[in-house]
Amino acid sequence: MTGEQKRTLALYYCQNVPASGERERQDLEEKYGGNIRLFPVPCSGRLEPIHLLLALEEFADVVYIITCPEGTCRYSEGNKRAKKRVEMTRTIIASIGLEVERIGMIIGSKENPISLADHARAAMERTLRLPPSPVHN
Amino acid sequence: MNNSSKLKRVLEGGGFAVTAECGPPKGANSDVVLKKAEMLRNKVDAVNVTDNQTAIVRMSSIAACSLLKTAGLDPVLQMVVRDRNRIALQSDILGASALGIRNVLCLSGDHHIFGNQPQAMGVFDLDSIQFVQVVKMMRDEGKILGGDDLSQPPDLFIGAAANPFADPFDFRVIRLAKKIRAGADFIQTQCIYNLYRFERWMGMARDMGLTDKAYILGGVTPLKSPGMAKYMKTKVSGMDIPDELIKRMEGVPKDKQREEGINICVETIQRLREVPGIKGVHIMAIEWEEVVGEIAERAGLLPRPVFG
Amino acid sequence: MITGEQKPIDEIREMIAPYKRILVLGCASCVAECAAGGEKETAMLASTLRIAAKMKGEDVLIEEKTLDRQCVRDFVILLDDIIEKYDAVLSLGCGAGVQAVAEMFTEVPIIPAINTEFLGETRDQGYWLESCLGCGDCMLHHFGGICPVARCSKQLFNGPCGGAMDGRCEINPDVECAWHLIVDRLTKFGALDRLENIYPPKDWSKKQGGGPRKIVREDQQK
Repeated sequence: MTGEQKRTLALYYCQNVPASGERERQDLEEKYGGNIRLFPVPCSGRLEPIHLLLALEEFADVVYIITCPEGTCRYSEGNKRAKKRVEMTRTIIASIGLEVERIGMIIGSKENPISLADHARAAMERTLRLPPSPVHN
Repeated sequence: MNNSSKLKRVLEGGGFAVTAECGPPKGANSDVVLKKAEMLRNKVDAVNVTDNQTAIVRMSSIAACSLLKTAGLDPVLQMVVRDRNRIALQSDILGASALGIRNVLCLSGDHHIFGNQPQAMGVFDLDSIQFVQVVKMMRDEGKILGGDDLSQPPDLFIGAAANPFADPFDFRVIRLAKKIRAGADFIQTQCIYNLYRFERWMGMARDMGLTDKAYILGGVTPLKSPGMAKYMKTKVSGMDIPDELIKRMEGVPKDKQREEGINICVETIQRLREVPGIKGVHIMAIEWEEVVGEIAERAGLLPRPVFG
Repeated sequence: MITGEQKPIDEIREMIAPYKRILVLGCASCVAECAAGGEKETAMLASTLRIAAKMKGEDVLIEEKTLDRQCVRDFVILLDDIIEKYDAVLSLGCGAGVQAVAEMFTEVPIIPAINTEFLGETRDQGYWLESCLGCGDCMLHHFGGICPVARCSKQLFNGPCGGAMDGRCEINPDVECAWHLIVDRLTKFGALDRLENIYPPKDWSKKQGGGPRKIVREDQQK
């Protein structure tokens, strides 16, 4: 039953991720029919817990962050910071009884660069494994 | 019963003084104190009574001192500034003197975070040096802080502690000098295991003329086991236990370890007696008061002088 | 700066439980600097509380606002137009901020969302250290700019105590021995002999003489 219900994924991604231009973004939004909301960020380090919280509060069942591979951040430490903020936000949602799996992070691989579309598929798969968010139901 | 400090008389008479430590019970039972008094009677000149040591609540030091005094011993009242402000400290000094207590050891006290009341408000209104100064002012000038006169000054032989093993080393002797200048008549040191470092510190104290200005008693604590030695080395702050000593304790069978601890303690006392400027020894046998007599005997410190 | 840390969310939820319309009120001064109650933290807390309320199906209004300074009446007065909308204010200001708001809006309960801790400095990103106790009688010039009152665990004026080892305090090896720092600093100045003086007992009446301390300056008044 839960698997058939609609899920909404908020996907924040570093613009360094391969094949993540405006064109690809539009293609993905079309493909997932609004089940994925895509937010390009110049650097994942610019994300704050409030962005993740507001997504969870307002529409998302799950939030994912796709970062560039470790060691390749053009602002040197952005993806490291993103990791810390994800951890902090997970602590916050855990404190009110929301599953920490509702905030996910995928760190790109330097050796095996993965396109935005592939990341989106992986994140959506994981999203569907979770029941709909108790925040919106 | 002579009402003066026996410790003071031994030291002023040029004798090598012996003091021991008695920890009050975690209860209201006076018999524990009196039993310890019997173990120490005629084995030492004076008995220090700890003041809620390691910040664990115990019978008050003043009460236990009074019990010892009544039993005919010469108590050394340990007082820490951790738990009392200047009003309480000065008041207790007067009370102690009125009870016939004639020695006081002014201390900072172990921080309360270590004890069984970590939620307590630490007072630390005065520090230990200021406290020494206040007691001296009360005794010698008959005044309290702020200048008010006392109707009768307290009669107290004033002591302070010194730790030659804490850091920064070079500053240690400067702090000793401050305590003596503040008014300490006698000094009891932290437990000595590292004699090399202790002798260096004593050399510095002699060079500054401090050994002529106050009586320095070297502190010793018999080790019960290698485990205790390791615990003290790593967990008790300001403690310096050389590895050779731990190895020596480990090198004897378990049933001989206490004996070995006593051997080390006796040897340490014998070495200390050779250190110029040392005027006595303070034996802190922690919850092991029954061995103090044996240690004193074997170190050639018995019999203790008797005053009429 | 005055530092603080947010209270556990469960405690906050319990305190606000009786109320339906809540203003989460941040302060953009000290508590923003220590990342406890600035605009960002206020938005996070408000969002978290809204999420929690939605999860429980609670019908509450939780809105947020951040004042430049919660402890200054000129800023607190800005709430005048909106305060009526709410039946409680959850303040992320320090204790002074909470009380300033409470003093001005006596009809509305003001609930503290942070535990105010100390006067300190930002040592590094994400690291704040207590450095002043506000004793009312600064003696830092004697001690090489390191305060023994705020930074020595035993508030010694004639330290260091016998528990210092390797420059660390006996209470915790993470804590620097203030007296070790003082000795090092004065050695560098060639002023170590200063510590041969016995510092007299401190006059604490300047810290806690009688009730709350106040400063009145006629030249600053209207």
